[in-house]
Amino acid sequence: MRTRVFLLISIAVAACVFFGARLVNNDYVFFAGYTVLQFIVLATAWNILGGYTGYVNFGSAAFFALGAYSTVFLHKFYPMPIPVLIAIGGIVSGIVGLGTGYLTLRLRGAFFAIATLALAVVLQTLVVNWDYVGGSRGAYIIRPNEIALIGPYVQYLFLLMLALAVIALAIARFIERSQLGYGFATIRDDELAAEASGVPTLRLKLIATTISGALMGMAGAPFPYYIGYLQPSSAFGLEYAVNSIAMPMIGGTTIWVGPLIGAILLGLLQQLATVTISSAVNLLIVGVMLVAFVIVAPNGIVGLVQEFLHRAGVHTRSIAIIIIAAYLFVGGIGGIIWSLKLTLGSGLVLFILAALCIAAAYGLLMLEAWGLWLGIFLFAISIPIGLAQLLMGGMSTLAMLQIAIGIVVTWFLLRAEVKLLYRQQKVAAS
Amino acid sequence: MTAILDVRGLSKRFGGFVALDGIDLAVAAGERVGLIGPNGSGKSTLVNCICGTLTNETGTVHFNGQAVDGLVTHERTRRGMARSFQLPRPFVTLTVADNLRVPMLYTVNARPGTALSPAELDARCAELLQLVALADKATKLPRDLTQVEMRKLELARAMAAEPKLLIADESMAGLSQSEVDDIVGLLIRLNERGITIIMIEHIMRAVMKFSQRLVVLVSGKKIADGKPDQVIRDPEVERAYLGQ
Repeated sequence: MRTRVFLLISIAVAACVFFGARLVNNDYVFFAGYTVLQFIVLATAWNILGGYTGYVNFGSAAFFALGAYSTVFLHKFYPMPIPVLIAIGGIVSGIVGLGTGYLTLRLRGAFFAIATLALAVVLQTLVVNWDYVGGSRGAYIIRPNEIALIGPYVQYLFLLMLALAVIALAIARFIERSQLGYGFATIRDDELAAEASGVPTLRLKLIATTISGALMGMAGAPFPYYIGYLQPSSAFGLEYAVNSIAMPMIGGTTIWVGPLIGAILLGLLQQLATVTISSAVNLLIVGVMLVAFVIVAPNGIVGLVQEFLHRAGVHTRSIAIIIIAAYLFVGGIGGIIWSLKLTLGSGLVLFILAALCIAAAYGLLMLEAWGLWLGIFLFAISIPIGLAQLLMGGMSTLAMLQIAIGIVVTWFLLRAEVKLLYRQQKVAAS
Repeated sequence: MTAILDVRGLSKRFGGFVALDGIDLAVAAGERVGLIGPNGSGKSTLVNCICGTLTNETGTVHFNGQAVDGLVTHERTRRGMARSFQLPRPFVTLTVADNLRVPMLYTVNARPGTALSPAELDARCAELLQLVALADKATKLPRDLTQVEMRKLELARAMAAEPKLLIADESMAGLSQSEVDDIVGLLIRLNERGITIIMIEHIMRAVMKFSQRLVVLVSGKKIADGKPDQVIRDPEVERAYLGQ
């Protein structure tokens, strides 16, 4: 029952996203949004195998490309509407997922990861040498400009990917709460104990590879229509393999919101960097974020928040601290991106401030006393900075908002019960 | 007396090392059997072969009158064979209650005609946690438990599968005297509910208190099988334990 409610809510959110994007009335929004949505599907799909059962798949690009190339093949062989192509792409990738799973899932840990990497290489070689789908030259897909009812074709593709994202998230959430989800979790935790508890581990792992592969294929199926010209090197691109691992890892792997948060965060960041700096910086951002998260927050953003709630208790003030930390984190990331565009002097100042914001967000969530004081310091100095901006006659509404937030948050963080929260933890730790 | 477990001529070798050599072991329904032997004598290997974690080269295992050779572990668990591990292996990302829910979902619910509703599942979990005195830890994660609580969770998880036969592999190593008594008491209570139990243990006090019958393994061979007080006076057993 609750799955149905979830589905309704997510359809409503999706509708808001779609009509919101239409209000902006700029095709670029759909173009960039499509990529972010595609990563939501890929990250969620990866997480069903990698996060829930703990088997790391390095071959996401192979499943994605399988979906894309089944579309190319059918486009030449017998053209069909895209929803049908998505279904077929899903079936093809699902079958290959099942096959790979059957062949490789007796391997554990690193060996499974290497086997999936090999799969990508084998498939790419096959496609490069298969002339019918364009071989190494690539294949052109001429897409119509308009479609009935919706208008621009890119909006249609966006809508399809939005629907896929909703489906993928609903599946992930359903699995998580079902018997299957418990089984997957036991495989991740301890396969031997899982078998001893009656969990048919091999069968469950095959289910996971099939679902995961199918969803990746479905994400890839509309891709040729989106890109217009499909090359093996773009379909099998490193960014798909890396992103679909990095996004769940950064967001958090044990729960469906993890990949969603990771994909939105990294996806938007990459689009932002593409527009403001260059498209080449994309993988650099992913790399830096992944390294940073693996070191300081190995369980991702969701893991950090869960741990915070576990220690601080579920309470209104805990929620407020999480919101403040999220604000600091997003602001800090934005500040770093912006600082890269400024001149060395002012850029450096902004960069340091932004880095301090991220550090404060982390410190606040880790219940560290320095995090609290750093947070208070940052919000306190944002008040005079806002005042200075007002006096210089900058964007006045934004500056006023900044002053208001600064005052409220500083007042909140200086309250006795918040300070107590940070002191208590220190006593408990020692 | 019908044998619930009947092991005949079971052998297992690792490369050139013979870990088990023609073991015969029959356990009657409702019996409490202690299995002892020095380190490396093959006790855990025997458990692993009985449960299907390892495959034996020769010999057969009959459970409840049926041959279970060739069945993988989870199929044996579904037929009513449960084990706890020597070192507790809890599912670390699941809560204590969910640790027990898994075997219920995958064994009890998988047996024909015994499917439980979600409410019944919750009730079973609560009941079982009560039995092992972990009720107040139900929503905690395994990492919040103490050693002895972890051992209890390990036993409770084996119990959650509603087994006919429970094999407890050194569930008391490293515990204090009162904790050992605690676990022995728990195992005897379980036995009174009609579950056959094989206990593997080094702590002789616990073994003597628990067992109705004692089996001794030395270097992969069964050297004694009988009443506990007679077995420990057996010269061959004394030699194995104390040297000559």
